[in-house]
Amino acid sequence: MDPSMSVLVIVHTESDGALATPALEAVNAARALAQQLATPFHVGLVGAVVEPAAAALGTCGAASFRAVAGDAFAQARYATDVAAAAGIATAVGADLVIVPGTSRALRTAGGLAQRLGGVADTHVVGVAASAGVVSITRWFYRQRIEGTMSRTARPWVIALETGTTPAWAGAPGAGGVEAVAVSVETRSAVTGVRAPSTGEQTVRPDADLLLVAGAGWTKKQADGQVHAEAAQSAILGFLRASKASLGGSKSLVDQSGEGQAVLPFMTHLNQVGQTGSSPRHRKGLATCCHGEEPHVIGWRFVTERRAVNLNANCGWAQGKADVVYVADAFAVMKKVNELLGA
Amino acid sequence: MDDTSVSHAEPAVPRADMRVDIVCTGFGPATAGFLTTLGRAVLNDDGTTRIESTAMPGLPLQVLCFERADDLAAGVSGVVSRARGIRTSFPEFASAGVPLSSPVTDEQIVYLLDPVGASRRSRPLRAIDAMLRAGGRLLGVDRHGVRLPYIPPFLRKHDGVVLSLGQFQQWVAGQVMASGAAQIWPASPVAGPLFADDGARVTGVRMVDQGTDLRGAPTDAYAPGMDVFADLTVVGDGPIGAVGQALDAKFGLPDGHVRDEWALGMKMVVDLRDDVDLAPGTVIHTIGYPEPEIFGFLYVLAPRTVSLGIFVPSWFDSPLRTAYRYLQHWMLHPWLWRWLEGGTLRSWGAKSVQESGRRGEPVLVGDGYARIGEGSGSTNPLSGSGVDEAWTTGAQLADGVIELLSRGEPFTRDALERAYVQRRRASWVERELRVAEGARDGFTRGVVWGLAGMALAGLTGGALRIPRRHGQAHPRLATTVSADAWMDAQGWPAVPFDGRLLVTHQDALLMGGKVQAAPGYADHVRFDDLSQCRECTTHLCVSMCSGQAITDADEGGVAFDREKCVHCGACLWNCPDDNVRFTAGAGGLHAVEN
Amino acid sequence: MEFHIVVCAGLVPDPLQTLEPVMGPAGPGLKNEALLPSVIDPWAAHALFEAAHLARARPGSKVWLVSLAPKAKLQQVLMVVAQKVPFDLVAVDGPANGFTDASACAAALADAIAAIPGLDRQKLLVFGGWESASRAAGTTLQMVGERLGITEQFQGVDAVTVGADGAFEVLERIEGGRHQVATCSGAPAVCGWATGSLHEPPNSPQVGMMNMRTLMPALQKARAASVPLAGAFGAAAVPSARRDTRVVKDMSPDAIAQEIVEWIRQ
Repeated sequence: MDPSMSVLVIVHTESDGALATPALEAVNAARALAQQLATPFHVGLVGAVVEPAAAALGTCGAASFRAVAGDAFAQARYATDVAAAAGIATAVGADLVIVPGTSRALRTAGGLAQRLGGVADTHVVGVAASAGVVSITRWFYRQRIEGTMSRTARPWVIALETGTTPAWAGAPGAGGVEAVAVSVETRSAVTGVRAPSTGEQTVRPDADLLLVAGAGWTKKQADGQVHAEAAQSAILGFLRASKASLGGSKSLVDQSGEGQAVLPFMTHLNQVGQTGSSPRHRKGLATCCHGEEPHVIGWRFVTERRAVNLNANCGWAQGKADVVYVADAFAVMKKVNELLGA
Repeated sequence: MDDTSVSHAEPAVPRADMRVDIVCTGFGPATAGFLTTLGRAVLNDDGTTRIESTAMPGLPLQVLCFERADDLAAGVSGVVSRARGIRTSFPEFASAGVPLSSPVTDEQIVYLLDPVGASRRSRPLRAIDAMLRAGGRLLGVDRHGVRLPYIPPFLRKHDGVVLSLGQFQQWVAGQVMASGAAQIWPASPVAGPLFADDGARVTGVRMVDQGTDLRGAPTDAYAPGMDVFADLTVVGDGPIGAVGQALDAKFGLPDGHVRDEWALGMKMVVDLRDDVDLAPGTVIHTIGYPEPEIFGFLYVLAPRTVSLGIFVPSWFDSPLRTAYRYLQHWMLHPWLWRWLEGGTLRSWGAKSVQESGRRGEPVLVGDGYARIGEGSGSTNPLSGSGVDEAWTTGAQLADGVIELLSRGEPFTRDALERAYVQRRRASWVERELRVAEGARDGFTRGVVWGLAGMALAGLTGGALRIPRRHGQAHPRLATTVSADAWMDAQGWPAVPFDGRLLVTHQDALLMGGKVQAAPGYADHVRFDDLSQCRECTTHLCVSMCSGQAITDADEGGVAFDREKCVHCGACLWNCPDDNVRFTAGAGGLHAVEN
Repeated sequence: MEFHIVVCAGLVPDPLQTLEPVMGPAGPGLKNEALLPSVIDPWAAHALFEAAHLARARPGSKVWLVSLAPKAKLQQVLMVVAQKVPFDLVAVDGPANGFTDASACAAALADAIAAIPGLDRQKLLVFGGWESASRAAGTTLQMVGERLGITEQFQGVDAVTVGADGAFEVLERIEGGRHQVATCSGAPAVCGWATGSLHEPPNSPQVGMMNMRTLMPALQKARAASVPLAGAFGAAAVPSARRDTRVVKDMSPDAIAQEIVEWIRQ
């Protein structure tokens, strides 16, 4: 136990000053860690407006609320975000800095550690202290290997994966905020957000279901022909009817990128696995997909898994899916779409 | 696939070219031997130039090697070799620390009986089997197999090494490139040789076009294959290499030579379970099972790491030829399964082996080119050895090239004949190839005749042999029967898939071979006349395809999927109508432990 | 305006290889690590191709590839990469292992970049992969930027569009399959690339020959860097994910569809 060790969680506020779920998860994780270390924890807030967030966390037990607020800090921009976080961490004298694993916080996690003269770990799925020793569990090799480790270097920036800890859900209260003055110059500006111009939204991180399309959709079928149109209508029809999110294997996405226009709505943003994303969904349905390891990595956080595949002995059948249906995915998905539309 | 009328006219995008001194095609053991030997002569020990370039004056001799596979030595096999030539080049080889290599410590030939009753055994073999079973342990029979008490001298490898050819080749490549004497470029398929205007002289090679669709038509990323001109083109691209094939097509084979004996080697590297104590350097060869014609091997490369596989020969005269399913049944034989049970597939691959030996030797040299290695007929079908022979022919060519360069002589046919071919003719490689010539012809009469013929030729120094018999003993089946269905019908039991070692064919590609194909290249397998495929009633190209890349398609035709191709070339020699065009392509196996 | 683009790119196991961690006395590593085929990190490779593309469009620009990896492996992998686009190599001989510390790795890379002769910091764009396929933390490049005093940084970059004055617009991946659009007045800046939008360049023997002139000397000059493990590891393992799979073989497509729809609606 090290009573002098200080824990800080730094979160960004939304445009209305509230906190999103990943931020509340990070606060809860910092709170639990501080309790295990029997040390106080501090909350750092960054955003245009921070008071609503401080109020929402009013009963979380933070020793202090420090904030860098103002329009310049509304934007998810490296220069301002890293300066704000470093200012807060320095003001607190933080040894352990917890941040959520959002794109905004991950953009600066390493830079923050460098500014503080410390170290950083991201893709952390667990953080705990025992007898004063803090250890984390995090992914290596793009979600293929899980390691548990501790560090002696401080400050230590820890970016916690979203969805790995419960969100803070305590009652609001009065949260007095101490402003931290940060002066920062930047040559960058955030000008907006753009959705991919594929015409159809196919990436839905909050969907209940992930449909993974395998390269089999673009291969010659039993009649020796490629049925690109049928594949396209089966996949898009299903996404429309079920509001599922779409993932694809690298080979399928690469084919689309090569201008073969097999499934033109697939982009690299749909790619799951080794060089793609590892989406979290409650259910996953794999179609025309062989179950090779990189695909399965993309499935690691999918709770219930089913697959439709013509080969009864394929990799999915070897303990990777809950149910493997041995059937032609073209026929099955056509009927699924009919039933969903009914 | 069905478009065989791809135009090869000069592209609108200009074709680049460059000039070097020596260009090599294919980085196998022959080219490795060539580059190792030549590389030591190009530079002095202090890195200064000993042999100057004529293509790029002021620089050392410019030597390039192009390898089609995505990594150097991706996909080559586990071997046992006496390594006479390799050890001449590397006298300290044993202590060089090449990963996955070991001196031979134990050598066995095991005759495997048929434990499942599905093997197609001739009457003489059945009689032998019955005798062995009756004799049981008295005759040394254990777990449906018997270790032969005697290994004829021509087969012995007791003074040799087992090694992963992939790791060995990578080790050699590291040495060659670090010396700065040559550049070896992977992922660089060569389309074919370039000829001088008179057609008689080889002037270099043309690389494969990139940025094309599967039919070879340019896309917006089109980059025509570069022409690489060289004073000497060293052809070491193996028995199915594009340059070698083109040279054979142009110059023909010498009188009386024929390339009609092949085998498909399909192999794995397997991690054995913890309690298996097979000593590194153990060499086991099997005969008799899963079919009498199919030979097997298991080499212990390191503690609990084995390289194993089978050879399915072209003279395996069965209604249907296939490899993967047979490999699984071979592994499941009790003699082997005692070690393999609980093992994990680490890598997998397949390769065609040219087994015609000296009888398949092409024209070895011509103006501006020389051929080395397996594609030059150096594999010895009697001793079952090819790597060391290939290495040695490469080293012999290098010695000849150094001699010619030092005298300032051009690489003409006559000069290469004197400097290389005569060296080769006077060496142990040639001597042993002559003994082996026709030694396996007896297999056309059956396995017992074949083995007897090998023994006769081997023990008499090639003076006696059993002549071959032509003709086909068994009718081929119609294409409606898949290899699996046919084997089921023959009584082969279902394979108990375990997801680790006994996996589906496609899982072997993914888990073992890590087979990949980058986009942007044309299909490297084409069928000249698809109407012939529709009329073909065997489709051996399908049943022998190592990666299930060739499949039956509509109206009796066949289809090719380059993403599954391991470039074994089995389709080339299994097509009864010579209808397969097999060229060099990128991609394939990404396993380098084989 | 021209750019001096430095691409940081490490080596990772070829993506389809099976990775199995093993704990040694010093900490974790990969089983048969030395035997696993390597490739240049996929996202960093995209960064290299984008760098070459940008340099080609801005005459006077130059590309360096800075790589920290075991020298022998680097030599081998570069034989593929060097055929793609022109660059000068700066090699640092050190581990490519994903369990090493990002800060120490960043220090070695930043030192190597700072020592590049003729590098103009005002024209400097530091490119690299958003996250590697080994350590996969996405922190190293940020640290390199900080060490070089670069405050304009972008991560998950899929496009950089440069105007005539050197100012650029950048698309960064954010949640929901969307891009955040930002502008920057110009170099110096750091871009951690995702996939971008370029085709992989074809292999060109000419480009390869040109690169070889600096490649081998750079490898010979490679300084060794000490990059320790990130911390004290208690464990490293592939999570056990084996399930009791029900294989359904004898149902009609319609019946399967019915069952799937019921499952979706649960």
